[in-house]
Amino acid sequence: MDTRLVIRAQGGDQEAFAELAATIADRFLATSHRILSDIDLAEDATQQALLSIWQDLPKLRDPARFEAWSYRLLVRACYAEGRKSRRWAPNIRLLKVDEPMAADGFSSVVDRDQLERGFRRLSLNHRTVVVLHHYLDLPLDRVADTLGIPVGTVASRLHYAMRAMRAALDADAGTAPREAAQ
Amino acid sequence: MSTDRDAERIVRSWLREDRHEDADRVLDTVLADLDTTPQRRAWWLARRFPAMNNAMRIGLAAAAVVVVVFLGYQFLSGPNVGGPSPVETPTPSPVPTATPEATPAAYVYPDAGPLAIGRHQLTVEGVPLSFSVATSDWSIDEYGYISKDTEVAADQAEFLFWSLANIYSDPCAHTPLSPPVGPSTADLAAALWTAFGTEATEPTDVTVGGRAAKHVVLTVPEDIGCDRTSFYLWYNACGGVLPEAGCYRYATELGDTIRAWIVDVDGARLFIEADARKAAGPEVEQEIQQIIDSIVFE
Repeated sequence: MDTRLVIRAQGGDQEAFAELAATIADRFLATSHRILSDIDLAEDATQQALLSIWQDLPKLRDPARFEAWSYRLLVRACYAEGRKSRRWAPNIRLLKVDEPMAADGFSSVVDRDQLERGFRRLSLNHRTVVVLHHYLDLPLDRVADTLGIPVGTVASRLHYAMRAMRAALDADAGTAPREAAQ
Repeated sequence: MSTDRDAERIVRSWLREDRHEDADRVLDTVLADLDTTPQRRAWWLARRFPAMNNAMRIGLAAAAVVVVVFLGYQFLSGPNVGGPSPVETPTPSPVPTATPEATPAAYVYPDAGPLAIGRHQLTVEGVPLSFSVATSDWSIDEYGYISKDTEVAADQAEFLFWSLANIYSDPCAHTPLSPPVGPSTADLAAALWTAFGTEATEPTDVTVGGRAAKHVVLTVPEDIGCDRTSFYLWYNACGGVLPEAGCYRYATELGDTIRAWIVDVDGARLFIEADARKAAGPEVEQEIQQIIDSIVFE
């Protein structure tokens, strides 16, 4: 990340922020889409996170830490969207399975719907850790830094999440032949 | 599936599939909003000394010491220590003016995030209270929504401390009860008991935090005639970050058990609800009751 761009945006330079936002927006949307499993909620979370970044940039003490700081705001926005979707009618959105099925042989081993369902059964906390670690490739200490929680908690959440996903996949492996025979 | 490594590989592969996200529209919206979205200024000053050499830093430090010594001398010698008494000059009596009383915030919640085991304070509808959690899997969001997140979906539960403006006579059609619910705890308890669309127990008299309360247990039917998120239960202002907005509570899950406590706190009608899944184990109910029993009104 270009820290000069961050510093300019901190000073209120909208062009610098536009450039900065353009470099992270796709990644943000992809990340929030995976955490929330819903593209509409993900767009709202990304929009909220980008606006929060603009608003709070002057408070960022160390521009070199922009990336971790910005992901923290994104995760916060995802949590807000995820919670709202469960609770408040003005934010009603049904979770939907709308992902395209790619023909790559992967689906012969596991069913994507089962993966999707298994992932959605995880809590937001668990999904977030999985996405930050296994999608963004952040090491555990940076996941902990991003979420503001101890590394041990990250490891514990990851362990539970992956155990649950494995259980979902195992269940899929057990049911797939029966489904295929119907 | 054979190993954890297989599961990890499959999940990684699935997460990295191209899902065709395009953030252009979001980006356009954000950039269009910049003009009307002011940046929040920091209260601190950034500490940057890019072009400062050691001699300048020592000089600045020495100057700072001189300033501190000078201010200290002024402070110590200011109030005439050991000197003659100062001549009192008459000052006009202060004219009593109407100063605005500080209005306590209607909703104050702990910082969003996990709730540590122990006691937590919050303010709901201007009523300060505290409660304690005995396990580490509870968290709160910025709306004051307290949830128990466990990997066992059946044991997840939620708490809300708020007040109700009214309920719906037809939750699917979103028709508010008319005339609206009366102001007493008994009025609200009776309305919940007889509300169309849910099954409820007859209200009972209990105490919460030493205050008289009504307790009603509702069950969200599994066959409600509309979508779960269209099944409106009740509404009032949102707490947390959206105190001015209305929040309409809909069913968290079909078949949920909603335990409601309606407490009269010095004339304020507080509504406490706890949601638990249909298949929740008895320990969830015990944990909910433990939180209720721990409530103290400040």
